[in-house]
Amino acid sequence: MDLFANLALGFSIAFTPLNLTMAAIGVILGTLIGALPGVGPVSGIALLLPLTFGMPPTSGIIMLAALYAGSMYGGTITSVLINTPGEAASVVTCIDGHQMARQGRAGPALGIAAIGSFVAGTVGVVLLMGMSPLLARWALSFGPPETFALMLLGLTTVTGLTGENAVKGYISMVLGLMLSMVGFDLISGDARYTGGLNEMLDGVDFLPVAVGLFGLGEVLAGAERAMRQEILSARYGLRDVLPSLADWARSRLAIARGTVLGFAIGVLPGAGPTIATFLAYSLERKVSKHPEEFGHGAIEGVAAPESANNAASAGAMVPMLTLGIPGSATTAVMMGGLMMWGIRPGPLLFEKNPDFVWGLIASLYIANVMLLVLNIGFIPIFVRALRIPYSVLTALIVVFCITGAYSQNNKLWDVGQMLVFGVVGYGMRKLDYSPAALVLALVLGPLAERALRQALIISDSGVLILFQRPISAVLTTLALVAVAIPIARALLSPRGGARHGAPPPPLEAPRAGHGAPR
Amino acid sequence: MRRADRVGAVLLLLFGVWFAAVALRNYTYWGATGPGSGFFPFWLGLAMAVLAALLLVRAVRTSDPGAPWAPRGRGLVRFLGLLGGGVAFVVLLPWLGMAVTTVLFLVGILKALEGHSWPAAVGIALAIAGVNWAVFTWWLRVPFPTGVLGF
Repeated sequence: MDLFANLALGFSIAFTPLNLTMAAIGVILGTLIGALPGVGPVSGIALLLPLTFGMPPTSGIIMLAALYAGSMYGGTITSVLINTPGEAASVVTCIDGHQMARQGRAGPALGIAAIGSFVAGTVGVVLLMGMSPLLARWALSFGPPETFALMLLGLTTVTGLTGENAVKGYISMVLGLMLSMVGFDLISGDARYTGGLNEMLDGVDFLPVAVGLFGLGEVLAGAERAMRQEILSARYGLRDVLPSLADWARSRLAIARGTVLGFAIGVLPGAGPTIATFLAYSLERKVSKHPEEFGHGAIEGVAAPESANNAASAGAMVPMLTLGIPGSATTAVMMGGLMMWGIRPGPLLFEKNPDFVWGLIASLYIANVMLLVLNIGFIPIFVRALRIPYSVLTALIVVFCITGAYSQNNKLWDVGQMLVFGVVGYGMRKLDYSPAALVLALVLGPLAERALRQALIISDSGVLILFQRPISAVLTTLALVAVAIPIARALLSPRGGARHGAPPPPLEAPRAGHGAPR
Repeated sequence: MRRADRVGAVLLLLFGVWFAAVALRNYTYWGATGPGSGFFPFWLGLAMAVLAALLLVRAVRTSDPGAPWAPRGRGLVRFLGLLGGGVAFVVLLPWLGMAVTTVLFLVGILKALEGHSWPAAVGIALAIAGVNWAVFTWWLRVPFPTGVLGF
């Protein structure tokens, strides 16, 4: 069968020494990045992008995807032991995870999270593998109107769902699109908005922007907070970590529900792992026979969201790979990386680059096995890493931002750009704008413009062509609804445009993410 | 944050109008075959202007001054220190070379800004700079500026 031949090809690529090493580096760094508060998967991937230039794209994406998966595992450690989420997708885990730790059950909390993550991550890859080729085949028939409508939908849903403030989210998105206009216009050859600078002719480079917004920007915003928390100590022997039969009986269905829900949410544009965890948690509380235990150390409250975020991170790869529409900031940065390596994600990817796609899929299976071992057997090492003072981490990240920005083109100009976008990212976080929407728009901008112009060239009724073909009509309408609802809300209420889609986290006071979808 | 929103909205509104105006004046809105290089930017500028106007209306209507957002005190010092350090890094890099600049920057940040002791600051700086050198210079062979000292 086709699938097995492809999978065999994938494993033959994934098992090469280089790719195994990259997967291992990815999962270790990912777990660390997930565990350390103040660096999430977006910053992690932006910071590691420069390392991938020297390697084949397949090895590069294997490292980044393994890192993404690893960060979903690692975030749990911090949530449980410190009551501070290591990254945004582990915010809800704090509620019951930390309570369990206080009751001396940190081991089972981390154990069930690792097992749930493994199940969800693996099932997520199975679903990714089954669904992507079908979706890609369907998308092959897309013409320019459908492509543009799809991008519009991706842009508007990501922006509308994830920002704290809808109007500012859309402003961030338009700003990203505007930035993507800078440089040569490929159709007419005009040099646009370059301000006469030769450096700008090739456009605003993706890498310095991503590294600045998510690396330096996050560090600058974090630099104001002094962070020193108590780490609860616990025992992490194999027997302490493996959940008991009773724990297992309670968590089994929670893991299953979290997996299915998480994957479905992950596939949707605009809703990534973070939203999946919130929904999985509230679903679990609703179906539970003893909802009063939630908030007081219910193991399902750890199992469900930790499964959901891993399934969602696999699901989020589906639209990125098959349609070329990233559904979250993390996959947007990943897609920016793909395009820098000269790989064009979209329906043709499965036909043109089977090595790449199937190597990636096979590696994700391997990465999940590595992560299970790592997160059951090596917890103490990551706990020790949490003792790295934030000041040292900050200095390290700034150095990495500067070196990384320089290393793409070996130009100081890029480092300057990175610094500027670091300040922009800082300001955006402080003022509730959305760096995630900006970066997504920067990646999609040129593609969206080209699709729109081509659509208008073949159209004899102007923009109405978007509504004359069934698929593009549905997608465009959905996109318009996605814009209209939050903006109408913003206009109607004076405080307006509050986050929707996720219930407000009922937490003691953990430091949440910056409204960026992870 | 209310004042920041008002100022921000006005600046963004002007920026949107400018962006759209440049699109119309300098680039082609509609060419012989269809939309030209000015088409998409024009609409982007317009969209920005509309969104900024929305933001402005809301910021003017609200009576809530909002939470303070600007850093102050220790937070401001750390922000400026890190940023200043970054700028100094870029300025010094061509003169002193990658290795020296990295160590100087790290010692500066760790000692002056974070208050680590001299031995700790120097030790951590050398360790981070070493890893950085190993990854980027030795492994990835990025040709960093070597500076007047030659390394």
